[in-house]
Amino acid sequence: MVDQSAEQGSTQPSTSVRNAVVIGGNRIPFARSGGPYAYSSNKDMLTAAIDGLVARFGLQGERIGEVAAGAVLKHSRDFNLTREAVLGSALAADTPAYDVQQACATGLETVIGLANKIKLGQIESGIAGGVDSASDAPIAVSEGLRRVLLDLSRAKTTPQKLSVLSRLRPRDLTPNAPTTGEPRTGLSMGEHQAITTAKWEITREAQDQLALNSHHNLAAAYDRGFFSDLVTPYRGVTRDANLRADTSLEKLAKLKPVFGKGAAGATMTAGNSTPLTDGAATVLLGSEDYARRHNLPMLANVVDAEAAAVDFVHGAEGLLMAPVYAMPRMLQRNGLTFDDFDFFEIHEAFAGTVLSSLAAWENEDFCRNTLGLDGALGTVDRSKLNVNGSSLAAGHPFAATGGRIVASLAKTLAEKGSGRGLISVCAAGGMGVVAILEAREQ
Amino acid sequence: MSELILDSVPGLPSLYRSALISSVPLPWARGRSAKGSGIPELPTVRHSVAGVQASVADLTRFQQLIGAPAHDLLPSGFIHTIAFPVAMSVMARADFPLPLLGMIHLRNSVEHRRAIHFSEKLSISAWAGDLRPHPSGAQVDLVTEVTVAGEAVWTGRSTYLAKGSRLAGAAIAPKEERTTFVPPRLTTLWDLPGSTGRSYAAVSGDYNPIHLNALAAKALGMKQTIAHGMYLASRMVQESKPAGVESFAWSIDFRSPVLLPARVALAITPRQEAGTWRGAEITAWNARRAREHFTGTLTRLAGTD
Repeated sequence: MVDQSAEQGSTQPSTSVRNAVVIGGNRIPFARSGGPYAYSSNKDMLTAAIDGLVARFGLQGERIGEVAAGAVLKHSRDFNLTREAVLGSALAADTPAYDVQQACATGLETVIGLANKIKLGQIESGIAGGVDSASDAPIAVSEGLRRVLLDLSRAKTTPQKLSVLSRLRPRDLTPNAPTTGEPRTGLSMGEHQAITTAKWEITREAQDQLALNSHHNLAAAYDRGFFSDLVTPYRGVTRDANLRADTSLEKLAKLKPVFGKGAAGATMTAGNSTPLTDGAATVLLGSEDYARRHNLPMLANVVDAEAAAVDFVHGAEGLLMAPVYAMPRMLQRNGLTFDDFDFFEIHEAFAGTVLSSLAAWENEDFCRNTLGLDGALGTVDRSKLNVNGSSLAAGHPFAATGGRIVASLAKTLAEKGSGRGLISVCAAGGMGVVAILEAREQ
Repeated sequence: MSELILDSVPGLPSLYRSALISSVPLPWARGRSAKGSGIPELPTVRHSVAGVQASVADLTRFQQLIGAPAHDLLPSGFIHTIAFPVAMSVMARADFPLPLLGMIHLRNSVEHRRAIHFSEKLSISAWAGDLRPHPSGAQVDLVTEVTVAGEAVWTGRSTYLAKGSRLAGAAIAPKEERTTFVPPRLTTLWDLPGSTGRSYAAVSGDYNPIHLNALAAKALGMKQTIAHGMYLASRMVQESKPAGVESFAWSIDFRSPVLLPARVALAITPRQEAGTWRGAEITAWNARRAREHFTGTLTRLAGTD
């Protein structure tokens, strides 16, 4: 295991830059794939989410410094997805935009990138976001047909063209659909997590309990109106369609395992794993000056962030464990411990992911020998974890999850009026991103 | 051992054609081996070709098929595909005592001593050796040596089984005891479509009918088409070896053929010493039934990368 201690990265928080603040957020309710958004494209949903944000903060015709967003499952025609969504939105047409792709960390990374530009004074305002549709997924022509078509476009004479066409075989007409498998291992994300879940001996009961809390917390947040200024209904959907407010441990316990079935004692079910989801989320960021000039709220500061990656290919570490490595580096740099945080937003790709991360941070041996720390990193107070629900209940449209989390956490911090929040998002390719938000001084 | 210098690397299709013609039942023990004296003999000649250079287009297609980055260095398995026709020409000789078609690939071991750039002029030499009994017939090694300006850069030894070919006068090798295979925890899964054999044939030139067509495979004693051993080996090496290690040895032992289409589960276990990659152990099995397909090993050599 490569030493991932802080030495390679920045060890000093930069103090010579200005604050970047979260002004607010807007998303469409998330829905299971094949459901109400089955025929909506990534561009449709991202435009809808941006337009909701525009309406909420009076940005019609405004030129925003920059819009950054992305999608994980992306059509090749959507090479400029975010710019196209901006052109279709009520924002000024001279608003620049760029696409980001960092798997499930895409949404969080757009927030970090734009916040950094604001901190450096390069832009005054930014819209970060992400979208994904598992329903309207791109389907590609087969490799054989693709090569024939490309060679055909290069062939000049009729005999050359006929010779290229003669290579076509009936099997070449079968299209390729995207898979959730990791390219280098062929294993699905769930199968990878099943290995980690078993390694950390996370029980079925603990996973089901986490899923239950997610549904209850999200339902309670909707009931008290928490999402009224964070979510705009779309296509007749007003709440995240995956939410099961009435679920129970008994119901969750009845589900059959779907991942890690080869081994005895499989624990991961459809109830404690996120479903394929469609949705989009956006976050409005700005400098303090921008917010004041436009008379906009300031919910929280974007303090710091850190990315990490692990070598999961031959099982040296679990696919979704990179945030475990990013966290101590970021905390050390900021001189903070878990005790300094009031809210923890740990993305629930699978209940097993959250619980494995918590177990790793609590494990003295692992933190000493693998993370290179003096002892266990610490314990996350469960009453501060995902207090308004997370991906198990809301669903997880890959690139949209970061925007959902940042907007919800910023509002939670603003409601409390003090304190800090910690974000942890795992991503495909053995990556992870963590970030710190802090409440504005009242 | 005498040496037969070939003008160029022979074409595999014509070798297979002549093999097909000579596969008309004609038991070697009667017609093709040393006369009546007991143990048949291998040809004592090596076939050699000089000045061989890899085609960049072939290299790119090979790299893409096995998931290797398309850099300018030759993958170990690709060198085998370049050199294989030379070894085949030894097996296709009239005085080679085993039937070429339907031979089963049992094992490969390779020493890949240094990074080999596609522009290097390779000299290839191949010969047969170590004909010996196997519980199901006879086995033989084909040794292929690749040199650059006299420096041996790559040596491969492929072991083949001719099923049912009894070596007269030799003791029958005892059958290995079959132990029940308990799959380890998998780290990698290969989904191999039915076209895997045809795809690899297109990049390697190895159009052995057992990889292409179910009827031909049945005629040669297989239930379905099977994956090329060197396709499996090339992917195994590619996925087990860290980028940048260019001096290494590897071997693969085939236990059961991969019938296509297939889901192959693998456990790749790296060996590390003080943070340095020393090698890896590999086990591969049928993901649906716990049946072992192959085991392999990689070892870093002391040479320069």
